[in-house]
Amino acid sequence: MMNSKIMINLINNNLNEINNIIDCLYTTTNSCVKNKLLNQLRKNISNLCMLVQGLQNSENTNSPQIDTIRTFTEAELSKYNGRNGNPAYVAVNGIVYDVTNNAAWGGATHFGLVAGTDVTSQFASCHAGQPILSKLKVVGKMVE
Amino acid sequence: MNQVNSNCPNFNTRLETTSVLVNKVIDGVKQKRIKKRNLIWLELTGCSGNIISLLDGANPDFKSLATQMVNFIYDNSLMVSEGEAAMEKLFSVIDDDYILAVEGAVSTKDNGLYNVIGRCRGQPVTAYEAIKKFGEKAAHVIAVGTCASDGGISAARPNPAQCVGIQNLLDRKVIKLPGCPCHPDWFMGTLAYIMLFGEPELDNRQRPVMFYSTLIHDICPRRKYFDKGIFASKLGEKTCMFKLGCRGPVTRVDCPVRKWNEGVNWPIGDDSPCIGCAMFGFPDKMEPFISYNTT
Repeated sequence: MMNSKIMINLINNNLNEINNIIDCLYTTTNSCVKNKLLNQLRKNISNLCMLVQGLQNSENTNSPQIDTIRTFTEAELSKYNGRNGNPAYVAVNGIVYDVTNNAAWGGATHFGLVAGTDVTSQFASCHAGQPILSKLKVVGKMVE
Repeated sequence: MNQVNSNCPNFNTRLETTSVLVNKVIDGVKQKRIKKRNLIWLELTGCSGNIISLLDGANPDFKSLATQMVNFIYDNSLMVSEGEAAMEKLFSVIDDDYILAVEGAVSTKDNGLYNVIGRCRGQPVTAYEAIKKFGEKAAHVIAVGTCASDGGISAARPNPAQCVGIQNLLDRKVIKLPGCPCHPDWFMGTLAYIMLFGEPELDNRQRPVMFYSTLIHDICPRRKYFDKGIFASKLGEKTCMFKLGCRGPVTRVDCPVRKWNEGVNWPIGDDSPCIGCAMFGFPDKMEPFISYNTT
């Protein structure tokens, strides 16, 4: 377990990088560079989320990690369909995962499924027993 | 950008696989160590794209196959005989040894009456009847192309003729060569391997591992762009087309190395996303083929 001081340093580094990337985004006109910077931004934000969660967990080790992150209703989840600037999220067994840059979700679709939906039953019928979910970033949980 | 590494032994070996196998068969046949096998090619409910693709083969080419490897008993697009005479020829080997290649799905509605492939002794022969009769007795059955392997375009929504892949009707192992069309190398390499050593190693979906072992995404010349997060936003851009809906990451076949039309090019090399034509579920589950405004 990293101590809090190291985590805070890492958070600050990430914030500095995010600010630099935003400065670059203002100046660049090249779409390739823009895509690269946006992707880097997403990575930094993802790192930031993990570090913040880590900090929260280190303060309250008894509560499971999933309780500290955001909740989604079905309607809220449907906004995250991977289009027009929204990331691509899917729900499996009540947990919401980020598949925005998951290779198998090209164009935010996967074997006829679309992002922004609950794919629990389809996942169970195709990927039961496969260690797929552990590789995806958790962004929240579903609520009624 | 779209060039594969010509110094890579893995790529070079892949490119030589089929010609090495076919040449071994041809030598064996010449020296009478290997017996020419009878080959029946049935065109069922499809577009005949796979036999046309086979004619496009080069090193090995179709001529080598038809004259030096097998006795090509039947293919309705290529044979000289027609009508009853052609069907007589087809049925003449039903009790002999033969390898069956099948392209196209099988129409099952109304006992298969929506696809009659010929008439024998005055009676219509449906695709359904033909696959049942010839599929059960063949030494090996090879499903050539996506329709035969999995229903493919013939079974796409709304599927009015209730088409299915041939495995649904046969209680035996079927070697599957999905692809729309099947690359000539995939078929000739598989056939040559069967003649030399018997059934090739297959994956869990009955596809020969020698051609279907790698995801397109894993050997894509644009992979570095994916890893760096540099994505094309419209057709024509030379970067990774993942955001446009490229199906390379879910399609397992060797197009990036083998390419098409004698190794000239392939879809991604021509700035079009892979549409997953060699993947089970094509086309319905691979749609949309192009997506814009994705994040």
